[in-house]
Amino acid sequence: MTDTPLRIPLRPLARILEAREKGENPDAIERENLRLRHEEMRDRARVRAEGRILVLGAVFALAFMTIGVKMWMVAESEPAEPRTSYAGMGIVAQRGDIVDRQGRVLATNLDTFSLYAHPHQMVEPRRAAEELAAIFPDLDRERLIKDFTGSRRFVWIRRKISPEQRQAVHDIGEPGLLFGPREMRLYPNGAIAAHILGGAGYGEEGVAAAEIKGTAGIERAFNDYLTDPANGGRPLQLSLDLTVQAAAEEVLYGGMRLMNAKGATSILMDAHTGEIISLVSLPDFDPNDRPNPPTEGHPDDSPLFNRAVQGVYELGSTFKIFTAAQALDMGIANPKTMVDIRGPIRWGRHTIKDFHWYGKELSVEEIIIKSSNIGTARLAEQIGIERQKQFLADLGLFEPTPVELSEAPSGAPLIQKNWSELTTMTVSFGHGMSISPLHLASAYATIANDGRRVRPTLLRQDTPQVGPQVMSAAAARQAQTMLRQVVTEGTASFADIDFYSISGKTGTADKPKPTGGYYKDKTISTFASMFPAHDPQYVLIVTLDEAVETSGKDPRRTAGWTATPVAAELITRIGPLLGLRPEIAPVPLADITLTSN
Amino acid sequence: MSFLEYNVKTTPSGIRKVLYLNWPLTVLLIAVASFGFLMLYSVAGGSLSPWAEPQMKRFVLGMVVMMFIAMVPIWLWRNLSVVAYLGSLVLLLAVEFFGAVGMGAQRWIDIGFMRLQPSELTKITLVMVLAAYYDALPLNKTSRPLWVILPVVLILVPTYLVLRQPDLGTALLLMIGGGAVMFMAGVHWAYFAAVVSAGVGTVAAVFQSRGTDWQLIKDYQFRRIDTFIDPSNDPLGAGYHITQAKIALGSGGWTGRGFMQGTQSRLNFLPEKHTDFIFTTLAEEFGFVGAFSLLALYALIIIFCVQSALTNKDRFASILTLGIAVTFFLFFAVNMSMVMGLAPVVGVPLPLVSYGGSAMLVLLAGFGLVQSAHVHRPR
Repeated sequence: MTDTPLRIPLRPLARILEAREKGENPDAIERENLRLRHEEMRDRARVRAEGRILVLGAVFALAFMTIGVKMWMVAESEPAEPRTSYAGMGIVAQRGDIVDRQGRVLATNLDTFSLYAHPHQMVEPRRAAEELAAIFPDLDRERLIKDFTGSRRFVWIRRKISPEQRQAVHDIGEPGLLFGPREMRLYPNGAIAAHILGGAGYGEEGVAAAEIKGTAGIERAFNDYLTDPANGGRPLQLSLDLTVQAAAEEVLYGGMRLMNAKGATSILMDAHTGEIISLVSLPDFDPNDRPNPPTEGHPDDSPLFNRAVQGVYELGSTFKIFTAAQALDMGIANPKTMVDIRGPIRWGRHTIKDFHWYGKELSVEEIIIKSSNIGTARLAEQIGIERQKQFLADLGLFEPTPVELSEAPSGAPLIQKNWSELTTMTVSFGHGMSISPLHLASAYATIANDGRRVRPTLLRQDTPQVGPQVMSAAAARQAQTMLRQVVTEGTASFADIDFYSISGKTGTADKPKPTGGYYKDKTISTFASMFPAHDPQYVLIVTLDEAVETSGKDPRRTAGWTATPVAAELITRIGPLLGLRPEIAPVPLADITLTSN
Repeated sequence: MSFLEYNVKTTPSGIRKVLYLNWPLTVLLIAVASFGFLMLYSVAGGSLSPWAEPQMKRFVLGMVVMMFIAMVPIWLWRNLSVVAYLGSLVLLLAVEFFGAVGMGAQRWIDIGFMRLQPSELTKITLVMVLAAYYDALPLNKTSRPLWVILPVVLILVPTYLVLRQPDLGTALLLMIGGGAVMFMAGVHWAYFAAVVSAGVGTVAAVFQSRGTDWQLIKDYQFRRIDTFIDPSNDPLGAGYHITQAKIALGSGGWTGRGFMQGTQSRLNFLPEKHTDFIFTTLAEEFGFVGAFSLLALYALIIIFCVQSALTNKDRFASILTLGIAVTFFLFFAVNMSMVMGLAPVVGVPLPLVSYGGSAMLVLLAGFGLVQSAHVHRPR
């Protein structure tokens, strides 16, 4: 009201006096002024109200225009037929197949149907529920009745049903029961290569399609690749050989049972390309029906656990060859150099001793052949902390394996933070540092590849890898020779088989207790090998968990008695599958020949 | 009391009042309702039952109520507005305690011959009481804080009761409708600016807090808001209506598939096809031309109301007419926007077209007030 001009008083004295002089009623002046004032107020109210109505009108007009334009857009966008829009339209249906190195199918898709219900369109919801429960005995009848008669408008019943089940549901004749196409991931070989393939589940789900998503293994690691439309559904080719994989699983399973082990793993790798030809972890599972992660027990004992990639163990004496190879490479020693092995070595409260007493001194090659801890520790002392760490890092043992599995990063090696001189000595014979069997395989492949670093891969490669030279070719060949001697004269005599010449190193390590210290009666026994011995093409690692061989008087837990015979059997079986020609003629049994009478 | 008293003698009396009705408005109302009858006939598969016939009967009843209200002098309604407002509050409370539960929310009272939805009634009585308040309030007090708080309370009490039913759509409509009446009564800009910026600020704060450690609401509440704002996130649940409605709208094109030729709505793809989503049937069968015609009719109704309000010198009558126009506008604007995916889905019917008794009766009663204001305007 600040802009109001000076108010005229209701009874201005001058006019009252004037009126009185004229003899008029002065009250008329007051009434007149009151009327004028009211009119003025009303006019001001009108102006303001009209302004407000104008604003309101503008809002109305804007809203009308928005709605009108939207109508126009909607009408124009679809001139004729309804668009083929359905829930989940954006889901990419075709997921690429996965095949082995020969093109044999490891994972593919199968068209099935999903089953869902629109209860509000049901004619007899109760009967439909009863009959459904009869077709699918695992469905809860009461629950279905509740869902169908309640206020729900949409109920999922089954994600995947077979054609027979679909026909049976169709025969109920209930219009409120509906089917949607549904792709399903199928692993036609069942449990074979389960840990590599991993498994798949459903991501985004609609009635007309569902997105398949890899949940583990290759399926998860290559999820984007497999679903990328740019690949046009081309299959993903792995380095795996289905036949070799199947044979390896069978032999390893038998070996695990025979050696009373609770778990086992084997890795067969091409020593030049790094291709993993077969990778087995037992116990296993069926990726078609991937179990849920266990809620109790140690997760490392679950069938889902990939021992070859995720399991990190102290792999024992298999490490000794790295120490010897480095000593040879550095020129500290040659295979004939004599090393003092008088022991035991005492270091603080730790003692390093040998399994047997081997005398006062051994040559480097004898240290490997007989597997002397003290001898290896002495070599490691000569090498020194930093150079040893550098060598192991060059072999790729300080970081997770680069293999193409979603689980690979979880298989990081366990390395002591304070790497003392004692650590150097214990690591030289494979204690105080844990790596996965796959790490070991690629390190052995590096030796077999004449010292060039080999990285493990699951994808088919056409050319050999050209990695950095970790050790000289000469040192690598000398190490190969020593490994052959382990088989012919040393701890791995069970691997001295007919037909094929094997080189390799055994390793037995006591399992650490979760509370600290080591078990006396639980071991991880490993046989790391390469064949054919004169020109290694393949590397094979066999690791048994808590194996014990009981044919003798005392239970035997050393790898020479457990892992080695299993590996020998494996090579006998898969050698022909790999196309290797027998090199060693079997020694004919003295009297029996086919032609003898 | 209004300071704009006017002479009763200048207004028509007796049966002559009928001649002074706002006849163009009446004709428009009948036209819009006829659209509704056609659509209800069509969605029932070419049959008067179960929807078209009761709708016609209710419309006739509603017209009678409108005429009756139009004949009663507007000042009587003004004097009754406080009573009407309190009465509707009592009914809202009654719903709270005795109401029937339908479609997951408690909204109706069964009063024998029909089911009453007090929240609908409140939309009119709230506008009445606010108009009467600003009529009685001296102009210079309009923007004083104390005299602003009182109408805010008048708006918030029924809003709270409706929100408890729960009926978010109606609650929002009450708030916006009441706010619009206050705006037209001339309350200072600053109040509206403050409320709007506070609201925007709160919403912004809530969304800013998402994913931070001072998150103001729970994750599942965020997901609900997401679905509310963009129903296509959940095509089988909350977004189902919208998906199907968009298909129906799109298939209508410019001139539509022809009367009774719509597939989307008649093949039962659309639930609520005869109530909140009836617009889709219209758009599918008569296309852009039909939908736009209905929009034009609605626009004309608003224009006639605004014109009537502008020429009316009585403050109560003018504010009341505009308030009812705003309420009516909010109905169809929200409904059409929701169906076309411009706004989230809230349960608001298409006025005079959607099947339903309460809403139509109450709206026609509201237009009765508009007519009464028109007939009894000071001349």
